[in-house]
Amino acid sequence: MSADPEFENLVKLYYRDLYRFGFSLTGSEVDAIDLTQETFYIWARKRHQLRNPTSVKSWLFTTLHREFLKICRHRKRVAHEPIDEGAQNFPHVTADVVNRIDAQTLLNVLGQIDEGYRAPLVLYYLEDLSYKQIGDVLAIPLGTVQSRIARAKIKLLQLLSETKPRTAA
Amino acid sequence: MNTNEAKEKLLLYRERIDDADPRFQEALAQVRRDPELAEWLREQMNCYDAIRSKLREVEPRSDLAEKIVRNQPIPFRRDWTQMLKLAAAIILSAGITAVAMTLWQRDGHRLMQGREIVVKGEVLDLTCYVAYNWSGPKHASCAMDCIKSGLPVGIKTEDGKVYLLTGKEAHVNDELADYAAKIVTVRGKKTARDGFAQIQVEEIRKF
Repeated sequence: MSADPEFENLVKLYYRDLYRFGFSLTGSEVDAIDLTQETFYIWARKRHQLRNPTSVKSWLFTTLHREFLKICRHRKRVAHEPIDEGAQNFPHVTADVVNRIDAQTLLNVLGQIDEGYRAPLVLYYLEDLSYKQIGDVLAIPLGTVQSRIARAKIKLLQLLSETKPRTAA
Repeated sequence: MNTNEAKEKLLLYRERIDDADPRFQEALAQVRRDPELAEWLREQMNCYDAIRSKLREVEPRSDLAEKIVRNQPIPFRRDWTQMLKLAAAIILSAGITAVAMTLWQRDGHRLMQGREIVVKGEVLDLTCYVAYNWSGPKHASCAMDCIKSGLPVGIKTEDGKVYLLTGKEAHVNDELADYAAKIVTVRGKKTARDGFAQIQVEEIRKF
C-alpha cells in the first residue's frame, strides 16, 4: 500500500541512478543506500520548495552530493592522491585494461581521488549530462567542471594503468 | 591546433553526449584529417565506454525501492500561518472541551437522537482524512486498503460536512471499500455522540 503515489513513482524512476552515484562516490554499499534513502526523504519534506518540477532529477543528484559532502566533513579526512595541476601526458589505458578489473576495484581506484574531483568525474562517466548540467548539479562553474574532470580523468587513467586485475581465489 | 592540443580538447569528448558542443568541433575536424589522432580517439572512447559500463554494472539490492517507499516520513510543513491557526484551534478546542466536560458530567455520553437524512458525497477513509487531510482520487488506493482493513469509513458531503458511517448491527466497510474516494448517496439516521456526527446507514446508492 502506498499513501503517496508521486513519491513511489519518483523512487522507482531514480533510485538506481542515485544509488550508483552514491556508490561511486563512497565505494560503500551501506553509505550508498543511506544516501539514496536520505535524498528521497529530503525530497518528501521539501518537495513544495522545488520550483521547477522538470529539474527533479538534477535536484536529487544535487541533494545526494550535499549529503555526501556532509558525510565527508564528519569523517576523518583521508589523504588522497594529489592531482597534478599541469598534467599533460595522457596515460595509455585501453578498454581491455578496464575490462580485466572488477567494478569494486574501479570504485577503490576512484576512492583515491579527492572528493572535489571525484564527483564531477563520476557524473561525467555515469550520466548523460552536459558539462553545464554537471556544474549545475555540483554548484561549480563550467570552467572548473571541465578542468576538474580533465585532471581527475588523467589521474584515474594513471591509477588504472598501475592497477593489477584481481585474480580468482 | 596541433595533435597534442587536439588530444587535450578531446580528452573530455564523449560520443553522442558532446556531439553538439561547439568546443569540440575544431578538434573533431582535425580527427577527420589525421588517422593517427582518429585511432587515439577511438581508443579513448572505448576506454570511456568500458569505465562507464563498469560503473553502471553496480545494482542496488532488489528491495531498496520498496524499503524507501515503506519508510517514507510523513511530511510536516513548518508553516507559521498554519502553526498560528493550530494554536488558535487548540485554545478554542480547550474552551469547547471545558464546556463539553461540564455538560458530559451532567448528561453522560448520550446519543443525540436524530432524523433520517439523505446525503451525497465522497467515501472517505476517516483515519487518513482526519490525520493527514488525504482524500480524493490520488488517495483512492490507500483509502480502499484502509477501509478494507476495518479503519473507520466516512462520507464528506457536497457542503463539506463529514459523517462517520456505521451500520445498524455490522460495519459498512465491506459495502463501501470499492467506492473509496468515489461519490455515493447514503440514506440513514443522523445521530451524534459527544459532538461527533454519524449516519447509521440504511441504504447506499452507488453511481
